[in-house]
Amino acid sequence: MISDNAKGSIDGIFRKAAQSRLVLAAGDTCEIAAIPTNDAGLIPEAQVVVLTISSILFRLMLMLQFDEGADTRDYFFAEGSASTVQEIFSEQANLCCGAMNQELLRYFPDLGMSTPYVLNAHCIAHLEDLKPAYLASYAVTVNQAARIKATVCVCTHAPLDFVADLSALEESCGELELF
Amino acid sequence: MSKILVVDDSSTVRDEVAGFLKKNGLDVDTAVDGRDGLAKLKASPGIKLVISDVNMPNMDGLTMVEKIRGELANTSVNIIMLTTESSPAMKERGKAAGVKGWIVKPFKGDAVLETFRKLAG
Repeated sequence: MISDNAKGSIDGIFRKAAQSRLVLAAGDTCEIAAIPTNDAGLIPEAQVVVLTISSILFRLMLMLQFDEGADTRDYFFAEGSASTVQEIFSEQANLCCGAMNQELLRYFPDLGMSTPYVLNAHCIAHLEDLKPAYLASYAVTVNQAARIKATVCVCTHAPLDFVADLSALEESCGELELF
Repeated sequence: MSKILVVDDSSTVRDEVAGFLKKNGLDVDTAVDGRDGLAKLKASPGIKLVISDVNMPNMDGLTMVEKIRGELANTSVNIIMLTTESSPAMKERGKAAGVKGWIVKPFKGDAVLETFRKLAG
């Protein structure tokens, strides 16, 4: 069971994370639109990068399908990079999930986050089999060119209710905290 | 010249961080996980600063730090964690193991370059 407050909070946390981590430069635009999860037409036949955030109360899966067309590759792939496209997409997804994890830690101190792994995107059609408490998909468009389909799936082990203070989201990444 | 070791299983991050440091005149080596990082540190006494991810296959970053402090007790190497992990518990574990500092990804080189120079000096 999941409250409407928790659903709204997860939605807001994803949107904030996507806007800050799925763009490469601060001035880049990031449009996010809710779409049906079973909309396979947006990015067909793609692989999907999956990360999980787990706690005692819930497990959240973030699944990102990067369009494999030229516009998306050109946006994320730096000239001269020795990394493969898949490695670059995986790291971008890692950053996005990391931002969600960072925000969720404000409310759930017991979180653990996985490393990225890659699956065939057909698995998204089976998410309903997990009987998720929350399932939402989004079409993310960066600079009106790069396209990503994002899916957030949350399975709960206990009632989940929290209100994220999205106005308090801080850009604390990249700073060195010396001990 | 003192050297910096960048440890991350993501080639994207290794390229980004090592490339930035090299471009700024620093001597850099890379390792793909904690086990590789530990081996390279043992083989290269000139390494003065390690910048490491936490979540990696084979050996994670904090286990690597604990082994460095245990097996290379005489080394004065500074260790900075560069990771998506931001939990206070994880930072405390790092602090207890002898980590000098913590950076939550993404990497912003300009913000930390001078500190890295000092720690590697």
